[in-house]
Parts: sequence; C-alpha cells; structure tokens
Amino acid sequence: MPSVNTRVFFSKTDRAKYISHLDLNRVMQGAIKRAKLPVWYTEGYNPHMYVQFMLPLSLGQEGVREAMDFRLLEEIPHCEVTERLNKALPFDIRAVETAVPVLKNIDITTAEYEITSDIDNEKFLDFTKSEKIIVEKKNKKGVSEIDLKPLISGLTAGERITFRLPAGNDFNINPALLLNAYRDVSGDEIKHIRIVRTKILCADGSEFR
Amino acid sequence: MTDNLYKNTEMMNKLDEFLLDIQKPARYIGGEVGSVIKDKSKVDVRFAFCFPDTYEIGMSHLGMKILYGLKNAVPNYWCERVFMPLPDMEEQMHRRGIPLYALESLDPIREFDFIGFTIQYELCYTTILEMLDLAGLPVLAEERNELTPLVVAGGPCVCNAEPLCDFIDLFIIGDGEEINLELMRLMERCKKENVSKREFLERAAQLEGIYVPSFYDVEYNEDGTVKAITAQEPAPKTVTKRIVHDLDKAYFPDSFVVPFCDIVHNRAVVEVLRGCIRGCRFCQAGFIYRPFREKQKSTILDQTRCLCENTGYDEVSLSSLSTSDYKDIEGLLSCLTDYTSKNGINLSLPSLRVDRFSEEVLKEISDVRKSGLTFAPEAGSQRLRDVINKNVTEKNVLDSVKIAFEGGYSAIKLYFMLGLPTETEKDIEGIYDLAKAVIEQFYANPDRKKGKAPSVSISVSTFIPKPFTPFEFEPQASEEEIRAKQKHLMEYANDRKISISRSKYDVSLLEAVLARADRRVGRAVYLAWKKGCKLDSWEEYFNMNIWREAFAECGLEMSFYANRRREYDEIAPWSHINMLVGREFFINENKKAHEGVTTPNCREQCSNCGVIKNVGGDICRAIR
Repeated sequence: MPSVNTRVFFSKTDRAKYISHLDLNRVMQGAIKRAKLPVWYTEGYNPHMYVQFMLPLSLGQEGVREAMDFRLLEEIPHCEVTERLNKALPFDIRAVETAVPVLKNIDITTAEYEITSDIDNEKFLDFTKSEKIIVEKKNKKGVSEIDLKPLISGLTAGERITFRLPAGNDFNINPALLLNAYRDVSGDEIKHIRIVRTKILCADGSEFR
Repeated sequence: MTDNLYKNTEMMNKLDEFLLDIQKPARYIGGEVGSVIKDKSKVDVRFAFCFPDTYEIGMSHLGMKILYGLKNAVPNYWCERVFMPLPDMEEQMHRRGIPLYALESLDPIREFDFIGFTIQYELCYTTILEMLDLAGLPVLAEERNELTPLVVAGGPCVCNAEPLCDFIDLFIIGDGEEINLELMRLMERCKKENVSKREFLERAAQLEGIYVPSFYDVEYNEDGTVKAITAQEPAPKTVTKRIVHDLDKAYFPDSFVVPFCDIVHNRAVVEVLRGCIRGCRFCQAGFIYRPFREKQKSTILDQTRCLCENTGYDEVSLSSLSTSDYKDIEGLLSCLTDYTSKNGINLSLPSLRVDRFSEEVLKEISDVRKSGLTFAPEAGSQRLRDVINKNVTEKNVLDSVKIAFEGGYSAIKLYFMLGLPTETEKDIEGIYDLAKAVIEQFYANPDRKKGKAPSVSISVSTFIPKPFTPFEFEPQASEEEIRAKQKHLMEYANDRKISISRSKYDVSLLEAVLARADRRVGRAVYLAWKKGCKLDSWEEYFNMNIWREAFAECGLEMSFYANRRREYDEIAPWSHINMLVGREFFINENKKAHEGVTTPNCREQCSNCGVIKNVGGDICRAIR
C-alpha cells in the first residue's frame, strides 16, 4: 500500500520527562489512535503500529524538538496532523511541527543541551578545562572508561549552561554523565537540575530535518 | 486551561529533587491524557479519591473511573486521584516532609474537602491509615475536629465497616453514582453556612445510604458477641444501601485517564450488568450488588465505541460478576464484535460461567494468541457444589473444556476452595479427579495436536466466610484443618500434567477476621498499623506476627471472629446495615446448604431474597 513518510517534531517537558522511552512509545501510539490518523501497521503475524523515534531521550530529561516517524496511508496537510495530535496528546507532550523526513536517523551526530541548575557556572567552566574528564560509560558489553573532554563542544555558561555532546544510535553520550562527573569532582550537591535537549544536529552542524 | 493552573511549580520542584531515584516515577506525577485539571478559584468542593493500593492496581479499577468522571462532570467540583506510594517513594516523602498529594493538582490532600477511600478488600485497612498519616492527618476520626477534610469511604467492604469506624467519618453504602453527588452538594451548602462537622454529619445521616458510625452505640455480651446496636437521634435505626435504578440512564464515563506506564488492566472496560442471578452461597458480591440490572445492548455498544475512541485503547473488556448471564449474550457479542473487529480492537470477557460457555462465545473471544482459559468449579464434587449452590455440573465443566480444547486451547486453569462447609476427604479428592477428567477430555479429542501435552493447573484457596452471605454463620476452617486438607490433596495427586497451587493460610485468616469483625477490632487495626503494617495484600509487606501481637495487645482472639460458628439469632456487628437481601433468606439458604439442597438462579425462579420486597420488581430485571 502506498504510504507517506511523515516526521513529527515534538516537545516532551515538565511532567512528561518522567515518561520512559518504552512508555513514550505507547503514549504516542495511543495519541495517534485518538487522533484517528490513518497510519501504516506492520504486516507481520502480530501487526503493530509502526512508529520510530529518531533519538531516545533519557528518563528525567526534557526535549523541545524531538522527532518521530510514521507512515500515513493518505495525504493529510501537515498542519492538520500537528493539530490533531495536539488534541490527543498529554499536556506536556506537544507536537511542534509535521514535515516530510529529509534526513535519516544515522545522520544524527550531535545534540545540544541546556542545563538550568544550582551549579556554580564558573566552577563548572573550570572543571571542563581539566585535561581529561574520565567517566564510566555503560554499554551492552559492560562498563568502559571514556574521556568526555574531547567530546564536548559549544560550551557556554551564561544564565544557563549549554553544550553539545555526541548523539546518535551508534555513539551517544548522556549529558548526565558530564554533570555527574562534575558533582563527583567538585563534591557539590546538585539539588535542582533541569536538562533540556534543545537541538538534534548533523555532522555539518545543521539541525536534523 | 492555562499553563499556570496545571503547573504546581513548588511541588514539582520538590519532586524533581528525587523522583529519578524512584522506581517508575511516572506513576507519581499525573499529567496523563484524560486527567481532569480545573481552575481552583472556580471550584467549590474538592474530592481526593484515594485507592488504598498502588497506582497500577487502583488505576485498573472501574468504580474509581466512574466516580471520577461523575464528579468532574460538575463544573464546580473537582475530583482528583490518590494512590499509595510504594516504600521507596514513601520514605522520601517522609524524609522531605512532602505530604500525600493528589495527582492532578499535586496539592496536599489535607487541603481538600473530602478524602474518600474505595475499599475493595479487607487487606487494605492498614494502608488507609498509612495514607491518612502520610497526608498529615490524625488517623482517628475523633481527633479531626474541623468540617474538612471529611474522611469518607465506600466499596463492597463497607457492608461491614465496623473495624474502620474509629478512622472514617462516614460510609457510603451501595451504588455511588447518586449519593456521591448528594454528599458533595451538602458539603457545598455546609461550607457556605459554616456549619460544624457534627452538624454536617447529622445532615448527612439523613441521606439514604449514608452510615455515620459515631451515631451508633454498640454494647457487647459477656461472651463477646454483640448485645445491641443503638442509633442516636437523628440517625436512622438501619442504614439501607443505595441503588441506581436504571443502568442505561446512570452516569458512565466517556473517557478514562490513560496511564503513561503499564498497569494491571490497561484497557477500556464497559460494565454490562450489575448484580448476579446465581446466588452462590459463598459469594458476597453475588448478594450485596443485587438487584440484577442489565444495560441495553445499544448502551453497551455506544459506551464501548465512545471509550475506545476517546482512550485509543485497542482492548475492551466487558465487566460484571457473570457476563455470560447477560440475557442476550450472543446478540450482544455479535453486535460488539461487528465494531471491534472492524477497528482492530480485542474484546475480552472475564467472568464466564462454565455452564454458559459455548462455541459461539469462544469464537468471539479467541484472538490470535490462544493462551489459557480459566474455569471456577469452586468445589470438587457435585455434592459440595450443591452445598455452595454453584449450579455447575461436572458435565458442564467437561463440555466447556472440550469446546476449549477443540478450539485450540491446551492450558486450563481450575479454581477451587478448600474448607467449605461440610467438606469431606472425598470432596477434596474430587478436585483432583475433576482435573484428571479434564486431561482425559484433551486426549479424547481426535483432532488434538499430536505431541502436545495439555496443562491443567489447579488453584486452591481457603474459603473465607463473608457477611451478607448464607455462609456468614459458618466457621472458617482452622489452620490445622486446612493443612490436613492440603496434605490430603497433595498426597492424592499423582499426575505431573496437573500442577497445584495453594494459598497461604495466614492471609485468608486475617481476611476472615476483618470481614466479620466488630468495632473493637478497630483497635487491633490501629495497633497493627502503628507497629508497621501496610500494604498487607502484598506478600512482601505482609507480616502476620505483627497482626497477632496487635490482637493479643487488645485482648482479642482472632479465632473468635474467624473460626466460630454463629447462631442464627446472634446479633451480627453489621445488623444495622440493610443490603436489601433479608437475613431470613440467608438463614434459610444456610439451612438448605447443610441439607445439600440447591436454589434455582433468579432467572429460573424468584427465591424471594428480599430485594423485590425492598425495591420493587420493576428494578430487579432477573425475572424478565
């Protein structure tokens, strides 16, 4: 059956940051059903709705422009898809824009994060100037040590701290690793912290489309 | 809805500090689709609807969804949901001074007008106390002097609310659809008039279905039985349960709160009928939900369609005590499957009776994945099934499993009870013999899949006598007796294709004690909670030793409540509550049980249980 590839950019903030990736999948499928969008189902033994997320977001972190794909079985104006989804989504997940997918998820290389917290910015900047920032990273094989220092880019610390870290399905650095490393080195207790993924980026620095 | 109505920044900031360290934080922050947010400044009465168990259990409960929608349909009333946090969350809340809050506004529930509990099973009593305490309120009703928050409770267990009388200000007896709104209207008026709690309770006691326990005095005989229950003016001598007369006109929600995380029953649920025509003598629900009332097919179809569309669920379950007793069950299923199959929705039918199980029904419920089927013969021999009035024959069971096996099922689960009145070793052997016969039925099927073995599992629980049943007079079997019965069953069994699971006696004993407790047991509930009991229905938190200590400290014997035969003329602790079925009927049914005589179901013949006398024949639809 002919189908139209569709990409929805959405935000996931506030209370919704506590929805795990697995649960988000169910929440989105529910919203698509309530919105009565004619989406394509897989054609296997147990057909299920095909929804693909471009880059999972860690539990507790917020995102302002996340992306998911599905296929529509008929042409529906993009603004209408956005509108119908918003009526069906929980308050803290909002469809921002619907578009035709331009890039593939393998094109994602980097993400930008914005941190609001009670961290002392100066101290944090000093910390990031250290020669090496060694952290333990969990992966399928177990735990390995990794140096974050060369992986950080675009660091600024004004009212908020922003930085970029590698992102993508093959190699992804959770920003919490960097913040935890700072906490461990500085010994400061971080009481309030808000991590927002603001941008999903490609190798040439452009935003994922 | 504006942003700032929904955002409770202060509480959210507090929660943000630690929620990531908590297991499944999504169940503690609300914000789901279908949850109702209102502008506090335009709300006159706030109701904290508490389910004294975890989010996953409470969110699966249909009654809560009905009453949540009902109350929120009134513009100036706001009902919010509250569940019991698990220990990791509760510990953090204690440590950080975060009181129990409601999931919609995240406001502390002690600021609400009503704190209402639904009481579905006896083992949640200590959890109620724990929730009140976590809310920052005195657990004892007499220590709460202000009008609000008023602590109320409803649900099946409040037909004998006596062990909770120390803690709850008033009970709601019977169907909640009308009386909940009447109570909220009364609160709206009383708040404006600035009346006292006492004055509110006096006015509430005038409403049919409201039981204010502090207006009743209980005296005891020397042997510990109840001597008299006296109502104080202006409370009525007996409190009669409320019923909804017409289910087609009664409120039913057009949407549910759809949880983020998985819950026990994550699906749309439509109630098809209320009450039961069967009269199984052990079953409390079968009597306290009478009269039998059915919804029309068109109502059920409309509600199914509406719920599926608004929730996005692809599974709908029909709810009732016995769905196959719906008068035109096949007509109903065919009109429902017309809709569900077109829309890729799975229809599930729990609560099927073996004697009403047909090929047509099986066809309607069988989806792609054929898992197991469960039947509940309850007792192993025909004699004992007659005693308990489970009007099911061995042939019914075998015919049903035959259809199931032919339909491609290979796993059958059978439910039984041990310790039923008059039970002998032969009856116990009958449990195993019936399971054997089920296995033979599998091999008798010529079209069975070769090389595939059937699996039959037997689950035996301990019989618990409940108030408002013909067995309310019966003793529960003692621990020694149950152990001997279990041992006999295990020794008699010799087929590995049949697995047997048994229930823990302690849990059944406590349930039996609390079910028929009098007001003095409230002290034991209090002490057990003080000593750390909560979430008693969870095996990992249940601690019988503490309960034993608590009973010993108040000088009460558990066996007095659980293992004692009651005379027909003994005054029951719940005798001032009228659940519409008459006591004479229960006595008569008890006598018939001991004679092994069955009573026909209400559709075959009216047995004059008392409901029609109380409410009129036009409401009880069993006889039409």
